[in-house]
Amino acid sequence: MDPITFSIIRHRLFRVVEEAVITLKHVSGSAITNEGHDLMVSLYRADGSLLMGGVGFLHHLTSASEACKAIIRRFEGDIEEGDIFLLNDPYTAALHTSDIYLVSPIHHEGRLIAWSACFVHVFDIGAMNPGGFAPDAQDIFTEGFSSPGIKVVSRGRLRQDVWDTILNMVRGPEMVALDLRSMIACNNVARERMLALVQKYGVETVDEACRLLIEQSERRLRERLTELPDGRWQSRQYLEAKGETYRVVLTMTKEADRLIFDFTGSSPQSPYSVNCTKWASLGGLFAPLFPLLCYDIVWNEGVIKPITMIAPEGSIVNCTRPAPVSVATVGAIQSVNNAACATIGKLLAASERYAEEATSVWHANHFAIFMFGRNQRGGLSIGILTETFAGAGGARTFADGVDVGGEIPNPISRMANVETIEATFPIRYLFRRRLVDSGGPGLYRGGTGMELAIVPHDAPDGGLHYVISGKGAKFPQSDGLGGGLPGAPNDYVWVHTPAEGADAGRFALALDAMPGEKQPVAWGVYPLMGKDGLYVRWNGGGGIGDPLAREPAAVAKDVVTGAVSTEAAAAVYGVELAGTAVDVAGTERRRTAARRWRLGREAAE
Amino acid sequence: MASPSRTYMVATDVGGTCTDTIVFADGEPVRLGKSLSTPPNFADGVLDSIRDAARSMGMTLEDLLARTKLFVHGSTVVDNTVLTRDGARTGLITTAGFEDTLLVTRGAYGRWSGLSEDRIKHPVRTERAPALVDADRIVGVAERTDYKGAVLLPLEEAEAERAVRALLDKGVEAIAVAFLWSFYNPRNEQMVRDVARRLAPDVYCTLSSDLAPVPGEYERTSTTVINAYAGRITRAYLDSLSRLLVATGYDGPLMVMQGYGGLLPAAEAAERSIGMLECGPAAGVIGSRALGRLLDQPDVIATDMGGTTFKVSVIQNGEIEYAREPMVDRFHYAQPKIEVVSIGAGGGSIVSLEPGSGAPRVGPRSAGSRPGPVCYGLGGTEPTLTDVFMLIGYMDPGTFLGGSMRLDREGAKRAFDEKIARPLGLSTEEAAFGVYRVACAQITDLIHEITVERGLDPRDFTLHAFGGSCGMVAGIFGAELNVKRLVIPYTASVNCAFGLVSADIVHEYSTTRVLPAGTPAEDVNAIYAPMVARALKDLAAEGFAGDRVGLEWSVDLRYMRQVHEVQTPVRAATPLDTAGMERLVGDFEALYERKYGKGSAYREAGIEMTMFRLTARGLMERPRLEPAAPGGSDASAALTGRRPIFVEAAGGFRDADIYDFGRLAPGNVVRGPAVIHTPITTIVVQAGQRGTIDPYRNVIVDFD
Repeated sequence: MDPITFSIIRHRLFRVVEEAVITLKHVSGSAITNEGHDLMVSLYRADGSLLMGGVGFLHHLTSASEACKAIIRRFEGDIEEGDIFLLNDPYTAALHTSDIYLVSPIHHEGRLIAWSACFVHVFDIGAMNPGGFAPDAQDIFTEGFSSPGIKVVSRGRLRQDVWDTILNMVRGPEMVALDLRSMIACNNVARERMLALVQKYGVETVDEACRLLIEQSERRLRERLTELPDGRWQSRQYLEAKGETYRVVLTMTKEADRLIFDFTGSSPQSPYSVNCTKWASLGGLFAPLFPLLCYDIVWNEGVIKPITMIAPEGSIVNCTRPAPVSVATVGAIQSVNNAACATIGKLLAASERYAEEATSVWHANHFAIFMFGRNQRGGLSIGILTETFAGAGGARTFADGVDVGGEIPNPISRMANVETIEATFPIRYLFRRRLVDSGGPGLYRGGTGMELAIVPHDAPDGGLHYVISGKGAKFPQSDGLGGGLPGAPNDYVWVHTPAEGADAGRFALALDAMPGEKQPVAWGVYPLMGKDGLYVRWNGGGGIGDPLAREPAAVAKDVVTGAVSTEAAAAVYGVELAGTAVDVAGTERRRTAARRWRLGREAAE
Repeated sequence: MASPSRTYMVATDVGGTCTDTIVFADGEPVRLGKSLSTPPNFADGVLDSIRDAARSMGMTLEDLLARTKLFVHGSTVVDNTVLTRDGARTGLITTAGFEDTLLVTRGAYGRWSGLSEDRIKHPVRTERAPALVDADRIVGVAERTDYKGAVLLPLEEAEAERAVRALLDKGVEAIAVAFLWSFYNPRNEQMVRDVARRLAPDVYCTLSSDLAPVPGEYERTSTTVINAYAGRITRAYLDSLSRLLVATGYDGPLMVMQGYGGLLPAAEAAERSIGMLECGPAAGVIGSRALGRLLDQPDVIATDMGGTTFKVSVIQNGEIEYAREPMVDRFHYAQPKIEVVSIGAGGGSIVSLEPGSGAPRVGPRSAGSRPGPVCYGLGGTEPTLTDVFMLIGYMDPGTFLGGSMRLDREGAKRAFDEKIARPLGLSTEEAAFGVYRVACAQITDLIHEITVERGLDPRDFTLHAFGGSCGMVAGIFGAELNVKRLVIPYTASVNCAFGLVSADIVHEYSTTRVLPAGTPAEDVNAIYAPMVARALKDLAAEGFAGDRVGLEWSVDLRYMRQVHEVQTPVRAATPLDTAGMERLVGDFEALYERKYGKGSAYREAGIEMTMFRLTARGLMERPRLEPAAPGGSDASAALTGRRPIFVEAAGGFRDADIYDFGRLAPGNVVRGPAVIHTPITTIVVQAGQRGTIDPYRNVIVDFD
């Protein structure tokens, strides 16, 4: 096919996805979709294979592909022009029930030529806890409505009975209706634009271009893999739920032009909802793989072909029905993200040509904190603390990680302003700032995470409650690379002050200054009532290389800018400061002593 | 008032590369001037440009300025200060506990925003731009106001003094002050200004509550910091320009363009440097709107293709779209700014083959004006879009820039063959046609996306093509978008300057307050009363009263629990009554559904008002453009020859008529395929299109 037409069609396919994303955000109007960019739109070929993945939460690209395939199997002979199907069953294809897929066949002159698919995290799904993450769930049946495939729109007409039934099962049905409407509008735009493309260039030409695009991506990834060294790399991730600790163990093998991700050795599935299904694991390993290995390759089926996944059945990364999975996206899936990021980082770092593409782990621990209750204007507020989207960048082999730089699996997230949250929820922030010493130390430092504290403010019921499913408080998980240390762990603290207690914490600027009993919380539903406070701090990115090799001037600058404390500068980096300047002789002494101690320790081991 | 001999209105726009001037007088032809911009002393280029226009009128610079009654100005000085990091040493005082708001940029937002999709997909290689304020020059103070504007913790004077002194000790020249919720209650911020004035009267101090009284502390803080950072340079620049103009014989007012498309007197503009950001492109949109009105076609897609970028803006029924999240360089700011979207596709954009796929692409790298396209012969070795234009016969090597520069066709062909055509396995011509089509398709896709974003259909619009290169591509993307018609304006090459003389004095006022849509009209009127009083006072001080004052109210509304706010003009009489309030809500609902799509409204949640805006205009005198009497359609007198050019419909070269714009007269009709050469631009009329010279010497292209 001629390269000009190919180039134009490819560009237009990008734009089809882009315009559909705009439509999704417009119609939805919700904070999680618009601020967190917790969404995805992609195009699929007639057989459901990925054609053009958009920028969004990337672990959905392969899962939505499976959703299309599941619909093709289930509805064979009953897939008609103008239909739209809903699917949110994690054991069929979805990640968890609250991330609903709407998939739509695209027909041209009566023939099925492609699919479009999208998701948003809906306002509520009727699980036992509000907002979709259900730490109290015991099985999939307590995680809300779930469908392995249902026709919501039939030949362009909304099926009112189905619509009403779904909305009858959720809290805030009007908001869920809006989420669903946004996805319908999004699929409609994708279909219209795709058909316009076919009309201009002809169905055969477009089909040929799509086939070429996939072929090209496969060829390019295989070439890249061939350039990278063969070998085997491992990562072990821990996650805890309700006091129990689980492991996700990944062995990644690179052989010639193939990559095998083997999760053998991971923990058996949990009774708690941190598990994930195999489709979720597959998505979880592709989410970092797309931007880390395929940053200049179109994200489609061609990228998927050279990759194999082995996930033992009944394990935490391939659980069996009816295990609960509602917390998967911040639970086992994120551990898979981290493990894949770590092993891919090691593979890249082992190559002279690609070393600059290596990164240590970014933002290993999301925390889903859904606040719910009556707000200052008397209405119901349910919503996630969007700070969970403000992760920290991992260090690179040429530079520090970006402080509060986000995450790899969702490259364009952001958090809401304090003022936006205080206007929507009956709470007040005491502080929200970078967290000193949170970035993983190294020759290049991981980006810093943050810390915040909130208290009730002007709440008609005296406060509100929150559902929390937060991991990463027990172990640091943003792994370093090449001798770099991990980013600091997360922490979630319920500061409980009895009603008659002191009120000195009204303007506290640190956790220590907040009076009251401090109780770690991570799993379940807790109050933020009366004089309660909630303190959250979250991880920095991992470091790269030996912290003792870090330029002392860079450490001094970190101290001045508040990224590193004087104590850590001395203890971890071996840098002595005189005021804000480096004490060169003192630093030399300290670093020499530290190296001697390491040698002595190694000799003893 | 101006003496009778003062007849001219002069407008000069300083852009990144060129400084453009336009001179108007009633009953006289429009005159244009052009010179190179002269950073960092931009004022020199301003005089050069006016001198160039004066020369074409047979006058000296001094003669022209002595006979000028109004001078209007737009300049890239503030953008330049930020881009080159050449501003004041700035400190920030903010609410304790939130010192990092500026540095953290709402998380990854500051890392990815402003980047192309290609770069967003490659996060390992992305960075956040270092802030304009260093971390150790940010001081938190004990103070707090809540979401209602209640002061929970008043700022103590001693605390304010401590903070100001800490910054002075670090040698700051400017202080930005931004506290949480200060836009509801500026008391604590004002305390800092009072202290700063007392301790350091020379330090440039900016309050967020003055400058950007809108919710969203990150954007508000960033705005305040940019203003403080560029404040002194802006003030010095405008002062020196005023002095230079006076010294050269001018003694009228100096008006300065703002990014929201209105003018401010120089003295006021000097205190709000942030307002000048992107004011050139904004003036371009104002110019397009004026032209749309003149031609009685108020729905316009305005496109501008220069050396490095392609810019688009949309004007619907004369109404201008404002940017939702404006940025300068990589920094966000919260100020009303006309939306102009750009991509890196201009005449200087480098054509390359994508590694791996071998697909041809245009940009985003640019050869700029130095070394520039290969055909300029200034050392450029990578083929650019301009080289492609020449290879497909659109540019005439002999007539470029009025024949003042001879283009190297052979050199361009060699470079293009080697780097593009041969690797693609195509002939020079086939490859050049292809690259041209790729560029046009990328532009078509961009415009489509922008109109979709606004819920609009390009078929309802007239397309204006500005800039040196746009006339060579507009015929293709205009046809594919199916716009009504194309207009290549007479002032195409100096459009921003044209916009300057089409603008009014505009002051923007706003009050943030969240009220349900059912709020009684008198409560809303009470919010407006102080803004109206202030506006009338401000305009009176500038000499505007009576029918030279225009007040426009608009209100931001949204559906509760949704994030999209829509600025809705108040179309009813003001002050409002109950019927007027109902009309406002009805208009909002219609606008919302148009913009965000059918079914997007969530009425059940209720509607609320979030911001009350007042636009106050001092109506400027307009030059009267005299239409020429149209003559016959026969354009043969301007025909200079025939040569083969690429004709899209034919898929290859066809002979085309070549015209000299200077000899075309109003009423003349040019049938495509044809090329019209002007001294500055080239207009290609594709097969199946016909170009008509209108009475204002614009070229109107219609599709058969």
